[in-house]
Amino acid sequence: MDYILDFERLDKNSLPIVGGKNASLGEMIKADIRVPPGFAVTTDSYLLFITDAGIKDKIIEIVSNLDPDDVAALNKASAEVQELIKQRTIPEPVTKAIADGYLQLCSKCAVEAIPVAVRSSATAEDLPTASFAGQQDTYLWIQGADQVITHVQGCWASLYTPRAIAYRIKNNFPHEKVLISVGVQKMVNARAAGVMFTINPTDGDISKVVIEGSWGLGETVVSGSVNPDKFVVDKVMLEINERTISTKHIECVYDLEKGEVVDADVDQDMQCTCCLADDEIKALVRAAKNIENHYGRPMDIEWAIDKDISFPDNMFIVQARPETVWSQRKTESVIGGKTGRQLLMDQAMKRIKIP
Amino acid sequence: MAEQPGRFPDPHEFEVPSELEGWEEMYPTHHLFSEDRAEWEKAQFWYQDKIHAPEPMPPLDLIFQEAWQISLSQYTTRVFCIPPAQGIAQRMMGCYMYICAIAPPPEEIIGEKAGHFEKRVFYVFEHYDELWDKWLTKFKALGEEMAAVKVPAELPKFVPDDEVLPAPTGVYDSYYLLESFDKLVNQMFKGWQYHFEMLNLTYLAYLMFADVSRKLFPGISESAIGKMVAGAYVSMFRPEEELCRLSKLAASAKEVSAILKSDKSVDDKVAELQNTDAGKNWLAEYEKAKDPWFYVSCGSGWFHYEGSWLTDQSIPYSYIKGYVERLENGETIERSLDVIEKQRDEVVAEYRKLIKTDEDRKAFDDAYNTVRTIYTYAEDHLFWVEHWFHTIWFDKIREFGTLLVNNGMLNEVDDIFMFNRYEIPQLLTEVSTGWALGVDIPMRGNFYKSKAAKRKKILEAAGNWNPTPALGVPPEEVAEPFTIMLWGITTDKVKEWLKGVDATATEDVSEIKGFASSAGIAEGPARVLKRLKDIVALQPGEILVCPSTNPSWAPVFTKIKATVTDIGGLTSHAAIVCREYGVPSVTGTGVSTQVIKTGDIIKVDGDSGVVEIVKRAG
Repeated sequence: MDYILDFERLDKNSLPIVGGKNASLGEMIKADIRVPPGFAVTTDSYLLFITDAGIKDKIIEIVSNLDPDDVAALNKASAEVQELIKQRTIPEPVTKAIADGYLQLCSKCAVEAIPVAVRSSATAEDLPTASFAGQQDTYLWIQGADQVITHVQGCWASLYTPRAIAYRIKNNFPHEKVLISVGVQKMVNARAAGVMFTINPTDGDISKVVIEGSWGLGETVVSGSVNPDKFVVDKVMLEINERTISTKHIECVYDLEKGEVVDADVDQDMQCTCCLADDEIKALVRAAKNIENHYGRPMDIEWAIDKDISFPDNMFIVQARPETVWSQRKTESVIGGKTGRQLLMDQAMKRIKIP
Repeated sequence: MAEQPGRFPDPHEFEVPSELEGWEEMYPTHHLFSEDRAEWEKAQFWYQDKIHAPEPMPPLDLIFQEAWQISLSQYTTRVFCIPPAQGIAQRMMGCYMYICAIAPPPEEIIGEKAGHFEKRVFYVFEHYDELWDKWLTKFKALGEEMAAVKVPAELPKFVPDDEVLPAPTGVYDSYYLLESFDKLVNQMFKGWQYHFEMLNLTYLAYLMFADVSRKLFPGISESAIGKMVAGAYVSMFRPEEELCRLSKLAASAKEVSAILKSDKSVDDKVAELQNTDAGKNWLAEYEKAKDPWFYVSCGSGWFHYEGSWLTDQSIPYSYIKGYVERLENGETIERSLDVIEKQRDEVVAEYRKLIKTDEDRKAFDDAYNTVRTIYTYAEDHLFWVEHWFHTIWFDKIREFGTLLVNNGMLNEVDDIFMFNRYEIPQLLTEVSTGWALGVDIPMRGNFYKSKAAKRKKILEAAGNWNPTPALGVPPEEVAEPFTIMLWGITTDKVKEWLKGVDATATEDVSEIKGFASSAGIAEGPARVLKRLKDIVALQPGEILVCPSTNPSWAPVFTKIKATVTDIGGLTSHAAIVCREYGVPSVTGTGVSTQVIKTGDIIKVDGDSGVVEIVKRAG
């Protein structure tokens, strides 16, 4: 039984034991997509923990027969379950495996107490039909083996936030079938970060990659706390067809003294400066195309540019999941099976309105 | 003049600067706004045709415009019968030409035309290759016929014996003079009838393919569509290929390249080349290439003063000098056409792969094959008509100019271009009559000489005036394919123009928009060339800003960083050539030559169609 698994050992078949996010990181590495190194804490670790701690049945009992619209009841049940998970001791084989994994990562990156991201990776999450995005916790800039272990436990608990419980009830996912894995991954020391889509979310244009980015960590973009810079790039021509530079007042950075991630003010002269160089934009688009080809469907990708590394090695893909909005629409013919002749006749009959 | 919002000045109330007084008499009455057609004229939308007439129009050069007005319109309305489209009308205002796409005809006419359209147009698509071969054969024959028209430099003191005895010819120089000019005019009109034989359909096919592409990929750029459609092996690129070939030949023989690299005049170079076998061989190759490939205008082919590689051989020679030097530095001078074709095919394949349904993929293939079948015409006809044929015409007209100078009617050969095609027969009649009447017959030379001088002044004044981009009321709809595609007239464009009318605001403008017609980004000093002949001022590394460009400037495109034009749609000459040379370009900005000044540092974004003025000069 593997309590942890290096990302390099994962692929899509690993999903049941490492969850969607982690499996997808493994897939990406296999497809030559640059992701920050790290490892997954498997669902086996979680299962061993809840079994060993004797809370497995208790948890299911607490969340059974809940009315998803009864907020008070949801909150109460959630608090109870999270308390259970956070208070119990993790079995020694699991803590040892996580600590070993973390120390290996430190030596691999040649950084002492390397800051890592600790992320939930639920087994039902990110399926094309169920967008659980953002429903489980993510902890960033975690340093030291003990802290990593504590936050792994925090991620496990986040499987039972009121929102997650309600979501599963409403969508008929049995609680006991949803297991959780955790990813421990080197933090990118992000100069800029954001998201990108391999389809234009505005109009469903499959020939475009749309990049949104801002200074610092990607959280400001994901949470919508800043208006990001936006680039619409043609996949084939690699032309940047649209370039919107926004005023980016704040950036999410890791505060060493406080030991936490804070929103910092962006220098006046940087606020309206484009957060990406054209070469970086094109490198991101190439990566996006590669990712889309690999998965064979439109994707939603988180990326970051590391400030300590120079181009082109500074670009990391933090996460990739299937795009869920346009992909679920029925694929219909746009032109309607017309011949060249018919199309020409249509064009000949056309008048262009000038309002 | 009070401006109403959403419209341009009324052509019947518009006043041109007083220095232009008398401009009307240079042009035929049909081309003037007139009281008897006022009601109709006031209701139309007239925009300045910066593609064909970016500069004030010398009277004789109007013949090409007259010819295309008839021919383009006729093919749309009476030959191929594009159902809702009517023709394009022209008017002159202060020496500048304004054009108007006429509103669709009544519904019953549209219906009637649709039937003809189907029958006639699809035949052309199905038989394109064969039709093109026939076209080229007859067009070359026409050009040769024009070249063969005889124009005497002088009229004989007495007609020679052999024209009188033993069998009198019956008609003599006084008649031939008039006949020859009429022949040239008729041949020019005929050539322009041929010009549109398939052109309207290529534009229609392009618009159709562009529409299909946009339905499949809503955000696809003009440059991507253009890239897919453009061909590499087209006549318009042949002149430059011939230059490359001659340069390579020169570089392979040291004594030849040494002469060609020198700063001597063309005549001296030719004389020296004749001293060696290798030199003679090279000159023979040059002569072979010259006809037809150096019958290429230094400009667009639309103006007599642009000159051609034929009349000004220092141009091809200076290009060859540059190429030989680059070859000796180990640089490659040719663009590999195979590579260009292969890249294009890859672009098409990659878009095709993105298409989601088989049905759409089939429609895309069908649309693509349709446009590719015919599109080479748009690229090929340009060399043969605007360059080769016009070069022959200018050559012939100058023979008449010489005759008129020799007979005291004009001061300079090129003054003949100061008279329109209806007036020149009067000058020739004067010469014929004077010759016929005998010796010591007074002629009206001074009358014509002063007229030519006055007109040159008016044209100069017009050149210093910034004409309004448009007149009249913007239309509610446009159906005419050329309007959309060649001139790039869209709602946005008209709005930009309405903004640009307020010329006092140009200093404050820091960004202008146009078509993203050739990908890439470049920043550098601008060189604004309002007149094509100013191209000699262009320095390497500058960004060319002009009303419109032309593929005959080809070698220039290896020097400049980017191009910005006022006018030019999806397949304007500038767009095609910039894509081929990989030079970023933004076309159809409407106002670039007004807003940008030479020396301004500008950033041209050929991906998004935005031109930013980074820093103003001085």
